Amino acid sequence: MSATTASPRLLPEFRMTGNGFRTLVRTQARLLRREPAIVLSGIALPVALIIVFGVIPAFGKPSASLGGKTTLDVYVPTFAMLSSVLTAFTALPVSFADLRERGVLRRLAVSPVPAAGLLAAQVTVIAATAAATAAAVVLIGVVGFGATLPANPALMLASYVLGTTALLALGLLISALAPSAGVATAFGVPTMILNFFFAGVYVPLQSMPHVLRDLSGFVPYGAIVDTWSGSGAAWQHLAVLAGYTVVGALAAARVFKWE
Amino acid sequence: MPAIEVRNLKKTYGDTTAVADVSFEVGEGEIFGILGPNGAGKTTTVECISGLRTPDAGAVRVLGLDPGLDRENVRQVLGVQLQESQLPAKIQVREALELYASFYREPADVGRLLAQWELTEKATARFGKLSGGQKQRLAVALAMVGNPRVVVLDELTTGLDPHARRTAWEMVEQVRAAGVTVLLVTHFMEEAERLCDRVAIIDAGRVVAVDTPAGLAAYGSAAGQRMRFRPSAPVQDALLLALPEVSSVERHGAYLEVAGNSEVIGAVTALLARRQIIAAELRVEQNSLDDAFIALTSHPGDSDGPHHTSRTTSEESR
Repeated sequence: MSATTASPRLLPEFRMTGNGFRTLVRTQARLLRREPAIVLSGIALPVALIIVFGVIPAFGKPSASLGGKTTLDVYVPTFAMLSSVLTAFTALPVSFADLRERGVLRRLAVSPVPAAGLLAAQVTVIAATAAATAAAVVLIGVVGFGATLPANPALMLASYVLGTTALLALGLLISALAPSAGVATAFGVPTMILNFFFAGVYVPLQSMPHVLRDLSGFVPYGAIVDTWSGSGAAWQHLAVLAGYTVVGALAAARVFKWE
Repeated sequence: MPAIEVRNLKKTYGDTTAVADVSFEVGEGEIFGILGPNGAGKTTTVECISGLRTPDAGAVRVLGLDPGLDRENVRQVLGVQLQESQLPAKIQVREALELYASFYREPADVGRLLAQWELTEKATARFGKLSGGQKQRLAVALAMVGNPRVVVLDELTTGLDPHARRTAWEMVEQVRAAGVTVLLVTHFMEEAERLCDRVAIIDAGRVVAVDTPAGLAAYGSAAGQRMRFRPSAPVQDALLLALPEVSSVERHGAYLEVAGNSEVIGAVTALLARRQIIAAELRVEQNSLDDAFIALTSHPGDSDGPHHTSRTTSEESR
């Protein structure tokens, strides 16, 4: 009787009104603005760090060990990326888990909005916040403290965009499942630390065993840093990041729990 | 085509069977009630109809569509007010309505909804600051925002004060007046009696009766009728008990309470009239859905039922 072919789908439902998506993005942006604590660390920390690094005189001097670059030059991309990492693994999963815990998602579940649309709208808002923060970090570093931009801005931008989407897709997967803000943090923070580790934040990548070094190219933040440092083929790293983005986002929409 | 069709629905969670076997049909334009004690499977049934749960067995259709497989199309025509669902505390009333309106292909006018549900003055108030009654009005307005053909209202009036409850009843009648089919889940007999065209009583995951409220009340007549009055002159118990219609007589101070079958009122008043005794402050307890409900759903060890205590402490006559 019903005209639709009723077979279980592999791909999640995407259909949604254009007006619905725009209104959802606008509403989520408003709500985030009214609850600024959720994204504050993702904005404040990178900005504060770039300013601190900027005012330390030694970090502004070219160093032979850095190939004539200053410490500040090296850290501008890192801090620009930091906002994406922080928001992907804290703000994004925690805000979703909070909505889930309060039954907000339960109400949305009986409206026509698809899980994919909901995730996409929240990612749009979070990614815009992260991008604005990254732009601020670059601007402060370059204009405020005279840092020089990397030699290949196009590659930097590509790695930034794909890196952000890859990190957010991983964060989405946690967002899709975490039943409470506590669980979201319990999964988000270790994932974040793992990413920091493979990006060489704690131990320089150069001093890691070969196995770990090779592995780092397959962890999102590691692949981003490898793209910057020119270790391995850039296209390969970008492909890894694109893979995380596609698989993570599809899986998140597929396994999304409304309550 | 029925508005809602539920056939041999079954749903278990681990070892617990929430719904064992539930079937019913709701015709278009009806207000159909689902009554049952707590834990009877009402909410699970509603969740299967809303597409929140996938049935383990059986079938659910809303206007001929499967809510599990045809998610989008069912949601476009089905409005739902759920228990334990919330909005973000900081969203404003109008924002919430505009957000939900944007999800539908043919939404209702938000300004009109605000006016209809008396929320215009609260349009810029945040959800977290609303009173219980205002939240319920917003919940119904949200259920109506997609111009649905079928609306599910799950325990709409639970937790409302009597005044707000009456307002809510008027809301349900307004919804039906708009031509919308209503599935009303409740544990208030009075509510079902007042609003519903037909009622299904669900107990322990099964439908135990489906009928009009009057039909169900008649079913409960095994419990008989009851009258209470203050006689203007002394009456012997034996005199009353001699009437075949009377099953029990009790005294509460100056008052007499007489219970019996459906003819008891006529028989007793005739007897009193013959003796020129006036039954002052006469109160008749009509057989209600309450009696039917208790008769149909009572099982031993179930002291904490959802029913209010309108029963007197006379010995049961059944």
